[in-house]
Amino acid sequence: MKRETDPAGTEELTKVRFSNLDRVMYPAAGITKKEVISYYIRTAPRLLPFLFGRPITMHRFPDGIGGEGFYEKDAPKGTPDFVAIFLHHSVTADRDVRFVLCNNLDTLIWLANLASLEIHATLSRAASYESPDLLLFDIDPEPPLGFDAVIDVAKVVREHLQADGLSPYVKTSGKKGLHIVVPLVPGYRFADVRSYAHAKGTAIARDIPYVVAEFPQSRDKGTIFIDYLQNAGGKTMAAPYSLRATPEATVSTPLAWSDLTRGVRAEDFTMKTVLGTHEEPWKGILNDRQKI
Amino acid sequence: MSGTEGPARSREKGRSRAAHPAAQEPVPGNTGVPAGKPAAGMITVPHPGGHAETGTAGRAFWSGAITIGLVNVPVQLHTMVRDRSFTFRLLHKEDGQPLRYDRVCTRDDKVVPWSETVRGYEVRKGEFLVFSPEELRAVAPESDRKIRLTKFVHYLSLDPMFFGTSYLLVPDRSEDAYSLFLSAIRKSGKAGVGTITMRTKEHPVVVHAYGGGLVATTLHYPDEVTQPAAYPQLRELKAPKDAELALAQRIVDELSGDFAIGEFHDRYREAILSLIEKKLAGEKIVYAEPHPEEAKELMEALKETISTLQKK
Repeated sequence: MKRETDPAGTEELTKVRFSNLDRVMYPAAGITKKEVISYYIRTAPRLLPFLFGRPITMHRFPDGIGGEGFYEKDAPKGTPDFVAIFLHHSVTADRDVRFVLCNNLDTLIWLANLASLEIHATLSRAASYESPDLLLFDIDPEPPLGFDAVIDVAKVVREHLQADGLSPYVKTSGKKGLHIVVPLVPGYRFADVRSYAHAKGTAIARDIPYVVAEFPQSRDKGTIFIDYLQNAGGKTMAAPYSLRATPEATVSTPLAWSDLTRGVRAEDFTMKTVLGTHEEPWKGILNDRQKI
Repeated sequence: MSGTEGPARSREKGRSRAAHPAAQEPVPGNTGVPAGKPAAGMITVPHPGGHAETGTAGRAFWSGAITIGLVNVPVQLHTMVRDRSFTFRLLHKEDGQPLRYDRVCTRDDKVVPWSETVRGYEVRKGEFLVFSPEELRAVAPESDRKIRLTKFVHYLSLDPMFFGTSYLLVPDRSEDAYSLFLSAIRKSGKAGVGTITMRTKEHPVVVHAYGGGLVATTLHYPDEVTQPAAYPQLRELKAPKDAELALAQRIVDELSGDFAIGEFHDRYREAILSLIEKKLAGEKIVYAEPHPEEAKELMEALKETISTLQKK
């Protein structure tokens, strides 16, 4: 099919046709869709290696975060040819899900153009969907505890992992908490990884009174929950460098452990701060696969 | 892969030639777009899942028998593969009337009726050897309505490059013999190899078990398929470096999975069908024009990112 004329010469650079570039996505921060797309283009070199081959879930906000958002696992109608699809039979939903794999720059730009502000990725890759290649601790505070307490607990988790000879990676969730991730050598089952994470959480909860390791207590006031339940087939986490639907346009930001000192605030890590640095604390994470 | 010789109704492309007037289904109205309620099978919702459509059972267009030595299994041949490519009718822009193709004499531009035609083989530019229908009939393979199988081979040892068109074989009051034959080759994983004559061409054919039935797949002759070695570029390929190969193999590993044909669907066809629906509903079709000024900033970012990605 012959395309329409292309005075901007955009076609040479991307196959994506932009739409509604001036639509405001983040009203409080005054960020338009054009800026969102620009953000994803600029972070692509940091984001794409991580996303490669990983089924994603889109969290789309066609009218910006002021409007309604929805999660989308399936490739929508009209998904272009350059988007790789992973067909997976979901037992729970009893149907085939056509997952998007963000394997190239055009797909990332296409996602941004769909106003998928948030990109969530599975902890395993399509080629070995039932076998996780990432271990995740999702550490979340319940008020009045805040980010300082999250940092304290994250460091304890790190010490426990280091005692097992592991070197974990950390990022902000982009909301209130932190994600601790260990890249794994191939061959683990989710059940193994989950019980390993659960055991760590339980041990830490025994030592620190305000830490809880079980889901039923996760909403108790003044606690920090070490969530191990995300280590399951089909569950996703916000991808590193994914924007979040918060008023400040926060980003799930990979950090060096030395960046985490009390006084740092979760909402300090935003689209603007990420664009302002070229540091890549998670660089090479997928070549640093470890055994638990 | 398209068959060299399918039955007329299975090949929509046949419509563009005047040879098969029967294949030209009338299109209601003079707009080239189906008016009112679309005819069954005209607009179908593409199957969303990974399972192939079961399709609808069609009519037999050939009936005969599989013969293996002295054993006969009467069968009917049914079309299995449909080309669902989209075709438009060509219309006269002025009045919207459909156009038709005619055989026109290259000397006086007059239309020549079928009865006044003969077949000629061009020996040199502008020089033809003329053959009468009788002469051609003398050498045409005799269609005795038999699929003669002379050998059984492992189905997986067949080279798919030679596969032509597949036809479903349906028992012709021969259910018991059919079932016996099907079970025997399904158990052994083998396929029968032989020949079939359809219209005026004899094809190599394999008969194999597929989805609970017997399927006959015609094969191309060896000289119909070009071998890669015919290309000097391919004969002189250099071996890649080990490190490059390791990286490439990693990418292959990461994208490895199970083959599922349901992952693919004809997006152009879908787009055209939705365009038709919109037009039928009276919607105006608008094209999103690119916004050169707006997108300029993004292009700068893109250039930077692409060059960074290329360095990686």
